[in-house]
Amino acid sequence: MSSKFYDGQLGFLALVNAVVIVASLFLVGPKFVGLYSMQSMATQVSELGLLALGVMLAMAAGRGGIDLSGIALANLSGVIAFNLAPQFATATDAPMLYCWVFAAISIVVGILGGAINGTLVGYAGLTPIIATLGTQMLFTGVAVGLTGGSALRLGYIPPLDDFANLPVMGVPISFALFLGIAFALAIVLRYTKYGMRLFLLGSNDVAARYAGIPVRRMYFITYTIAGMLASVAGIIIAARTSSVKWDYGTSYVMVAILIAVMAGVRPEGGYGRVICVVISACALQLMSSLFNFMHLSNFFRDCAWGLLLLLFLAASKVDLSMYLRFRTPVRPGRA
Amino acid sequence: MGHSKLLLAGVSALAMVCIGLPAAAADKEIVTVVKVTGENWFTRMEEGVDKYGADTDGITARQVGPAKADAAQQTAIIQDLIAQDVDAITIVPMDPSALEGVLRRAMKRGIVITTHEADNLQNTQVDMEAFDNHEFGAHFAEQIVECMGEKGQWTSFVGSLGSLTHVQWADGGEEYAAKFPGMELVSPKNESFNDANRAYEIAKEILRTYPDIKGFQGGSAIDVIGIGRAVEEAGLEDRTCVIGLGLPKDTGPYLETGAVDSIAFWDPLDAGYVMNILTKMTVMGEEIKDGMDLGVQGYNNVKVSAGPGEGIIVRGQAWVDVDAANYKEYPF
Repeated sequence: MSSKFYDGQLGFLALVNAVVIVASLFLVGPKFVGLYSMQSMATQVSELGLLALGVMLAMAAGRGGIDLSGIALANLSGVIAFNLAPQFATATDAPMLYCWVFAAISIVVGILGGAINGTLVGYAGLTPIIATLGTQMLFTGVAVGLTGGSALRLGYIPPLDDFANLPVMGVPISFALFLGIAFALAIVLRYTKYGMRLFLLGSNDVAARYAGIPVRRMYFITYTIAGMLASVAGIIIAARTSSVKWDYGTSYVMVAILIAVMAGVRPEGGYGRVICVVISACALQLMSSLFNFMHLSNFFRDCAWGLLLLLFLAASKVDLSMYLRFRTPVRPGRA
Repeated sequence: MGHSKLLLAGVSALAMVCIGLPAAAADKEIVTVVKVTGENWFTRMEEGVDKYGADTDGITARQVGPAKADAAQQTAIIQDLIAQDVDAITIVPMDPSALEGVLRRAMKRGIVITTHEADNLQNTQVDMEAFDNHEFGAHFAEQIVECMGEKGQWTSFVGSLGSLTHVQWADGGEEYAAKFPGMELVSPKNESFNDANRAYEIAKEILRTYPDIKGFQGGSAIDVIGIGRAVEEAGLEDRTCVIGLGLPKDTGPYLETGAVDSIAFWDPLDAGYVMNILTKMTVMGEEIKDGMDLGVQGYNNVKVSAGPGEGIIVRGQAWVDVDAANYKEYPF
């Protein structure tokens, strides 16, 4: 089990995290790894991580799979929830109920939005990059139409604010939720029929169809899950900013793809690991925050991410496992 | 096994060395967070921030901003600054409402928060405005109405609909122009996203859709540049009136050809400087009084009023009108 759990990509990603943390001690001192700083980074990484998981699912399903509509759907679900939630509960009288209603509506919107993507890709057979580009514009358009383009303020709703920021036993709730969802997804992908079929489908969709895998339904389910993950990100965004807006995080689309590719998710489909996506998202967040601590320009950060991506692509072509394994296997011909 | 133990020992030794290092100098650290880095407006503001840092003892002043104009990236920068425990953050928000939560937490941690161009923000101690925004918008419209001879089609631009001040200028202009029955506002509040190319493309589109259009009110500092380029390409310099916020150096060539008729601005250098003055006063617990002279042109008699939250709003009278005749007097 342990040898199956560990692979070169995971080791490399963990190493990057370790290097960044050790480097931070030299470069900016211990404040960077302090509790508050770690919590702050953890609250930042959740929304991006969830979007990256959605991208990973789409990529793993193959046929050039990608989900460009993630952040647009996240914002749309927040906007619709903002508009509908007051019908069921008011934020001032029943804040807790309001939050649950808000979350439920968001997730329903996420599932519906994801189902649209799933229908276009699975049943209509559209190329994912085109289909999700279309729905990205559709979701954005609807969100702009509903809000008139301005941010809508949720105001200070204590349970929602706590959800975004309050640490329970040192771990911010939103981050714990992200880890919980990632764990559940990892279990599903590894131990269920759906998971096995997803990777088979991604490896070769023609063979998968002849093998009796319901290909269309698989795409439908996969993009629907991606939509649901996006809506959870939408809830976290709304909670963190106490507002909903159509263009929040528009730069996340590319970053989520970057996280997935860095995590070794195969862009052609058929392979991807949840734990690698989580660690990859953490690595990116650590680097981003470290550069902020070092007073480096944000342009430099984009440049560094680009370099890192190329490095990872190169690394995936070279087998690094024999350098990274702590227990070096004994090979014939060597002492 | 020995491998990882060694690594662990190394890391802990390193951590101890770092904790043992003397704390940074006792200077108060004020960080200015802008909407986006690399735009002339905020580059000029950085000069003001640096100047303030150089002029003032006991203060380290610096400016940061995201590479892309995205509220999410600005929020992330502010969160990282809070984690660094800086003494004060002064912000030009991309979208004020998106920052409420993060700023409330910053203030809870004892960090002084001040803002600029965000008079609807609740979680700020001082919001600095160069002038009253509705008056500023009306001031543009007044010039446009006069230039157009009180009749014809005109339009307005904003950086984004989330940028409150831009929307207030557009609204102020709209209200003023509504007094003239001949003025017809078409396709108002076009969003340029602080991108001159975008403004250029939108302006071209508008010129195609409304061939008789005569007036353009710019919103973000680069809107008039994009509009000016489109007007120049269409050869309509003499027939159109393009007036808006702009920087003299950037807009100079268009003022020369008449593609842009007049610009007004407040000097971002002074704004950056004054933001830091007010921030330092707040850090030191000094009271900011109505009618105070902050020692910077246009801020000699500031008006102080209550903000929407606990904080106050400080307004100057710091706008400057510039046209082809006098833009060279302003070297930025």
